[in-house]
Amino acid sequence: MCLGIPMQIVSIDGYNARCTAKGVMREVSLFMLQDEPIVVDDFVMVHVGYALQKMSEQEARSTWELLDELLAADNLETDMQDSP
Amino acid sequence: MSLTAQDWLSKIKSLPLTRSVRIMNVCGGHERSITMAGLRGALPQNVELIPGPGCPVCVCPEEDVYHAIQLALHAGVILVAFGDMLRVPVNAPKAEPRSLEQAKAAGADIRPVASPREAVRIAKENPQRQVVFFVAGFETTTAPVAAMLLEGIPDNLFLLLSCRLTWPAVAMLLESDKPGFDALIAPGHVATVMGPEEWTFVVERHAIPAAVAGFSPVSLLAATYSVLRQLLEDECFLDNCYPEVVRSGGNTTAQAQLRQAMHVSDANWRGIGTIPASGFALATCFEEHDARKKFPGFETEGRKRVGEMPPGCDCARVVLGKIYPNECKLFGTACTPRTPVGPCMVSDEGACRIWRASGVKSPTASY
Repeated sequence: MCLGIPMQIVSIDGYNARCTAKGVMREVSLFMLQDEPIVVDDFVMVHVGYALQKMSEQEARSTWELLDELLAADNLETDMQDSP
Repeated sequence: MSLTAQDWLSKIKSLPLTRSVRIMNVCGGHERSITMAGLRGALPQNVELIPGPGCPVCVCPEEDVYHAIQLALHAGVILVAFGDMLRVPVNAPKAEPRSLEQAKAAGADIRPVASPREAVRIAKENPQRQVVFFVAGFETTTAPVAAMLLEGIPDNLFLLLSCRLTWPAVAMLLESDKPGFDALIAPGHVATVMGPEEWTFVVERHAIPAAVAGFSPVSLLAATYSVLRQLLEDECFLDNCYPEVVRSGGNTTAQAQLRQAMHVSDANWRGIGTIPASGFALATCFEEHDARKKFPGFETEGRKRVGEMPPGCDCARVVLGKIYPNECKLFGTACTPRTPVGPCMVSDEGACRIWRASGVKSPTASY
């Protein structure tokens, strides 16, 4: 559950933001970052629908690459291990 | 230029390490990256990476899961929970549902969610129903729940809270006769929220090297190198190998929200027992949303093995890093991701599930 996903902010409405990660769009709460200056196009680390912290674009992109590798490996291996 | 995973491995291999070293991690995300990337097989044999208490679902009290099941079956509520909570087994009599998933199959209204915001949405969409959000999590999940409460929740939403702090379990191990590890890799996103300073006690009080790590092999290897070098040079400090999001002091807004919405209390850890000041309870101002107060008394008198792990299950020792998953006699035979016996085989953050899903059979073989 502690897995965080970096997302980029597309639009902001109060404490709610539309965010995107690799083509997937989600509503994210900025409530925990209300004391930080946050603008559209910023990158944030998101966990269970809440932005935990700001991060740089470069850091976000390298995390996306890592998640891609983990998910690809996980799907493949779970399929192989967990099928009847 | 930044170092690659291969560079860090070379640096680790060049260290004049003559003894074996056990490095504990306390985060399911770390264990997942370590296992998926095959780091154990790549490191020198005398460097052991031990999965410790890093899975909130695994230590969620059996009584709480049972309570949630009974609420869903008998109180007419909509029970919402994070998905990996649904398959956690309890010690109910054979004829009764033994997990939320089985209770759902028996007709209970149980809905998996991925965010506290979904719990709020479901409560708003069902104003005539009572909705109970059963939530187990560490600080990374608890802080968003606090934010959810302070943003305002509908009157018909109640919380069955089984949230825990991460560091007290490590403190408990370090204060025991046999901690079982020589160095610590501290959890990256817990430190993002709470600040890395929470972990200085490991270094200052116990003289155990520690480094906060992120979830990439590079960050995990950098942290491994850091703690090994601290050991060799006999100079401990808390290193931060995840500066991308871990900043001095952490997210102070989130910490203030946590203090406003909750207070720290003694808490029971499944298979481990009570750890002082290791859990979160709702603050007085949110008492009317406390499912424990709204729906008390769902424990069945005389129920067998209350609070315990299932028979034959060694999850408690796996959680504490006393044994590796493959050392449990049920691992991969009676207990698999498809037919889990203990909580460590259920949760995506459980070491048993992570190892089994990756085909890991022993700590020395990467695959």
